[in-house]
Amino acid sequence: MKYVIIGNGVAGVTAAETIRQHDASGDISMISDETFPPYCRPMISNFLEGAVPSEKLPIRGKDFYDKNRITPVLGSRAAFLDPDSCMVTTKDGRQLPYDRLLIACGADPRRLDAGGTELENIFFMRNINQVRQMIDALPQVKNALVLGGGLVGFKAAYSLLRRGVSVTMLIRSGYPLSMQVDETAGRMIREVLQSHGLTVRTGVSVEAFEGSGRVEKALMSDGNRTACDMAVIGKGVFPAHGFVPVDRIKTDAGILVDENMHTSASGIYAAGDVAEYFDLSRQKHWVNAIWPEAVSQGRVAGMNMAGHRISYRGSLSRNVIRMFDTDVMCAGRVSERDVDESCRTATAFDPRRNTYRKLVFEGNILVGFVMVNNVEQGGVLTSLVTSRMPVDISDRYLLDPGFNFSRFMRL
Amino acid sequence: MTHHNTQSITKDGQLLIKKMETDQVETVWDRHQAQQPQCGFCEMGLSCRICVMGPCRIDPFGEGPQQGVCGADADIIVARNLCRMIAAGAASHSDHGRDLVDVLEGVAENRAPGYEIRDLEKLKKVAAEYGVSTQGRETAEIAAELAAAMKQDYGTGKKEITLAARAPEKRQDLWRRFNIMPRGIDRETSEAMHRTHMGVDNDWQSLLLHGLRNALSDGWGGSMIATEVSDILFGTPQPSASKVNAGVLKQDQVNVVVHGHNPVVSEMVMEASRDPEIIKLAEAKGAKGINLCGVCCTGNELLMRHGIPMAGNHLMTELIIATGAVDMMIVDYQCIMPSLGRVAACYHTKMVSSSDKARFPGMEHVEFHPENAREKALEVVKSAVENYINRGSVFIPVEPLDSIGGFSVEAVLGALGGTPDPLIDAIKAGKIRGAAGIVGCNNPKIKHDYGHVTLTKRLIENDVLVVDTGCAAVANAKAGFKVNEAISYAGPGLKEVCGSLGIPPVLHFGSCVDNVRILVLASALADSLGTDISDLPLAGAAPEWYSEKAVAIGAYAVASGIYTVLGPMPPIAGSMNVVELLTKGLEQVAGAAFAVEPDPEKAALLIRRHIENRRGALGLDSADL
Amino acid sequence: MKQVIVHPERCVGCMQCMTACASAHSKTGRLFSAVSESPLPKPRVHVGAGMHNHGFPNRCRHCDPAPCRMACLPGAIYRQTDTNTVMIDPDVCINCASCAMACPYGVIRYHADPLAPAGKIIAVKCDNCIARQHKGLIPACAEACKTGALTFEESDAAMKKKTDRVAKSVTAETALPEQAPGFALLNTVKKAITEINLCR
Repeated sequence: MKYVIIGNGVAGVTAAETIRQHDASGDISMISDETFPPYCRPMISNFLEGAVPSEKLPIRGKDFYDKNRITPVLGSRAAFLDPDSCMVTTKDGRQLPYDRLLIACGADPRRLDAGGTELENIFFMRNINQVRQMIDALPQVKNALVLGGGLVGFKAAYSLLRRGVSVTMLIRSGYPLSMQVDETAGRMIREVLQSHGLTVRTGVSVEAFEGSGRVEKALMSDGNRTACDMAVIGKGVFPAHGFVPVDRIKTDAGILVDENMHTSASGIYAAGDVAEYFDLSRQKHWVNAIWPEAVSQGRVAGMNMAGHRISYRGSLSRNVIRMFDTDVMCAGRVSERDVDESCRTATAFDPRRNTYRKLVFEGNILVGFVMVNNVEQGGVLTSLVTSRMPVDISDRYLLDPGFNFSRFMRL
Repeated sequence: MTHHNTQSITKDGQLLIKKMETDQVETVWDRHQAQQPQCGFCEMGLSCRICVMGPCRIDPFGEGPQQGVCGADADIIVARNLCRMIAAGAASHSDHGRDLVDVLEGVAENRAPGYEIRDLEKLKKVAAEYGVSTQGRETAEIAAELAAAMKQDYGTGKKEITLAARAPEKRQDLWRRFNIMPRGIDRETSEAMHRTHMGVDNDWQSLLLHGLRNALSDGWGGSMIATEVSDILFGTPQPSASKVNAGVLKQDQVNVVVHGHNPVVSEMVMEASRDPEIIKLAEAKGAKGINLCGVCCTGNELLMRHGIPMAGNHLMTELIIATGAVDMMIVDYQCIMPSLGRVAACYHTKMVSSSDKARFPGMEHVEFHPENAREKALEVVKSAVENYINRGSVFIPVEPLDSIGGFSVEAVLGALGGTPDPLIDAIKAGKIRGAAGIVGCNNPKIKHDYGHVTLTKRLIENDVLVVDTGCAAVANAKAGFKVNEAISYAGPGLKEVCGSLGIPPVLHFGSCVDNVRILVLASALADSLGTDISDLPLAGAAPEWYSEKAVAIGAYAVASGIYTVLGPMPPIAGSMNVVELLTKGLEQVAGAAFAVEPDPEKAALLIRRHIENRRGALGLDSADL
Repeated sequence: MKQVIVHPERCVGCMQCMTACASAHSKTGRLFSAVSESPLPKPRVHVGAGMHNHGFPNRCRHCDPAPCRMACLPGAIYRQTDTNTVMIDPDVCINCASCAMACPYGVIRYHADPLAPAGKIIAVKCDNCIARQHKGLIPACAEACKTGALTFEESDAAMKKKTDRVAKSVTAETALPEQAPGFALLNTVKKAITEINLCR
């Protein structure tokens, strides 16, 4: 049996290990354009912040490929996939035949439609090389401009603030993480960042970057120029399935998969940021490009590829963020965009503990929440969202900072 | 996050809890929540810290340890713990009584300036009970001799304490028969501590019987002395109008709040707050006067005798400070949460402790003694006035309500025309089915005032006359039950009787030591019918009790023949033998027992059933409920 | 394999397991000295208040597969297969709280720990008292529990006991005798109080 895995992110790595556990003899190849051993992508911001050294980023040892008897095909992306001949071709022309293929090549950052983006010190902050370059540039950086208040924008801004850089964040909505959290939590996050020196600007965008070689300033849509010696573009990501023949493999935003992580083409699976599967809180297909999803999906894909039919119950968007002394956790439908009149919400703000919680229900099913501080019990709420178990205890218990698992125990 | 409507039924309570939340000040409810779950061993009375072979605990499920290191089983440990609770409660009331006897002695010896004998008649009456001759003698002489005789009651020189003679003959005989007639106030407490020491009394029944004797030494001893001497020194209460709830605080006056139990301090503070010089100073500071208010039982003492307004009960004490309107709170002792100093630190309130035996964090200590009380009172009230200008923002959440207080036994008999007969006739005729004493504290386990108010409401609407004391009395006043118009809440019979007498359907009997007024009235009714207290259509309830004092009160009520329903569960569930004895077995001994019922709706039914049952036994008409 | 088994119906909420756990995970290992250590050792079993303020010893179930392990970014969480214990490597943990989001029981806490690098805040949870077990001792929580709410026994045997109990309770003719009437009485009162406070 020949297994080919495109991508050495955590979805691909987990799938490869799972396959190896269940199939000791099959050939496994992994394709990746990154030559660095498999590492933890979400931690690159901790690396930028200076909280974690680069040696801690790898999620597996240097012997990962050898130990699992995997043939690494590194330094080039998959460029062409032919489902008829069961063949993947890389950009540099290497051809890999497969019996089972996993597409786990993740997502690429969205480009910015502005002039001068080729200047130095303009980054996407998507991979470890970009962060290395950012760190190298730091000594010369006084003012950084962060475009976008999504996860990448937030993490870049936070890490740079921790490095003592003065950061200006440009966002469309009035607060960061507006796709993840509700307005109250978003404003709390903004206030924390502002109290540590962040400048937030709304309603303006960058027309062009200017500078000689290196970026020096940005021309804004209001005609003003802002000095910046570093810029981070965080305008979101899109699944990297450009090489996939969309007439043969069904795609939406991501590559559509069934409960076995199988695509519409025989023998081809997808997992991680590139895959689109049923979202438990939204009850429709959705791309949830987050680490724990990639791990779970990689495991399910690996099991199925190795011949064990197991099902994945569905994905869930969720995040946890620690910044300075404030913690935020969110899951499912809780942002303004995701909550509509079919939902019932319950909120509680406790000024004594500086905690905030919002729960979003559809009927008696919890479909989303956000919590600011006291996040230790968040996993209990997450499991309520994923299990879609009817909640029959009063909101006040779930909202209480002292809430704990035993509230579900009956005497 | 707090839920104001699940914590208190009172409007002022709810609004002030919300304010404390906004002000980020911790409340008793927050601390109660933080304590959950509370230790089940302790809740069941199964943990023993009496000696250092221990501490020990008994596994209620029968697999773990069943005996402490010493060999005490669940029955012994539960009984010992309960006995010690009674001893602590009896000690508290009785020590409070002793402080009053000290003042009486000080007045007699002319070394307590500011204090005097205000009720000479009562002095003579009580003196006669103590065998002190009054004929043609100086007041001071009588007072001195009475004080000395009362001190005898505290000691070991007697076979029976004096005021036990006030109980009906049958009751006294019963006490002698079961060997629970109290011999000395301190003696019984001291013996309780001795018996519960490792290796002394290890028969759970005899321990509990001594607990009853110890409680009786409080009810017919220490507490009764406290009430009687307070009446002698400060006047026997007569019905008078007052105001209640947090709205009694005044925006434009210096608000001085007294908190605690003993009128010895608060009476002097009241005098000082009326001092023309100090009032002039208050005006100079921009205030329109000095507004003295009470909380808890010392508030009840002043309300009963002088109509001083009442700002709230136990669970209101932190909240009152959060109004920002309290310029000073003067405390003496008992039920003063050590948190108050911390709460006051968040506002401008100056906290003063006054008793040599009660000090608190965050309070200035100004020690009051009979010799210097007048002078110290002037000093602290002056300092309260000076604090007026330090006020920040003030939030007085509600308008005050009217309330009538001051129903001493003398006042009740006065209203009845000098004899209990009209009341007995109304009971015989079935217009009033019976009477209930609703007493006791607040407890954050029970929604604030819900137990008191619900139970009272259900009883009066079913023609049960309610008398109340302590925190229960404040709850009922705030619920509007203590004005003559409140007969609209009463059933037709009670409405008719109270209407014609011109009294509310709920009578304010005073502070927690004043529960003895209920004993005295019950004895008068029993004597008048030639029977025992336990035969009367009478019951007691402590729907929100929390303290050791309440355990002592409950125990003396039951030992005196009054069926008593407790809201919260006392720490006895670890021994079903003790539970059985207290809730059933005591019926055979004392003619009355305890019941535990946290739901006041159900408690009302229990009490009404008991009352109807007793009516039947007396040959009166009785309903089947 | 012996494991700590939780019998929630027997928990009286005394929290002695918490003190025992904290002192077992202190530098000195003794309660009296543990309370003066810095950082203060903290319990890894958490007695929470249930619906009626009854106690429940919430403790890591050492799930397999473990959601915390799958969510761990730096790979600090691993399984020690011989003791069936999910462990957290304090040197690798980056205190990102991803495991908080994953743990369906909410048993992971974040603080400095006497057994971790000094000053480092890390995720901390039950380690089945591996260190004590190596010395032949049973886990501290089970040792401290005097009501049998936490027992250390063969998991298969415990499972069989529970099954038998359930089977007995569903056979009609013999209702199980009340295990502890006093405790049932206390719980009835507590239940009544919470319901009254909430619903009226």
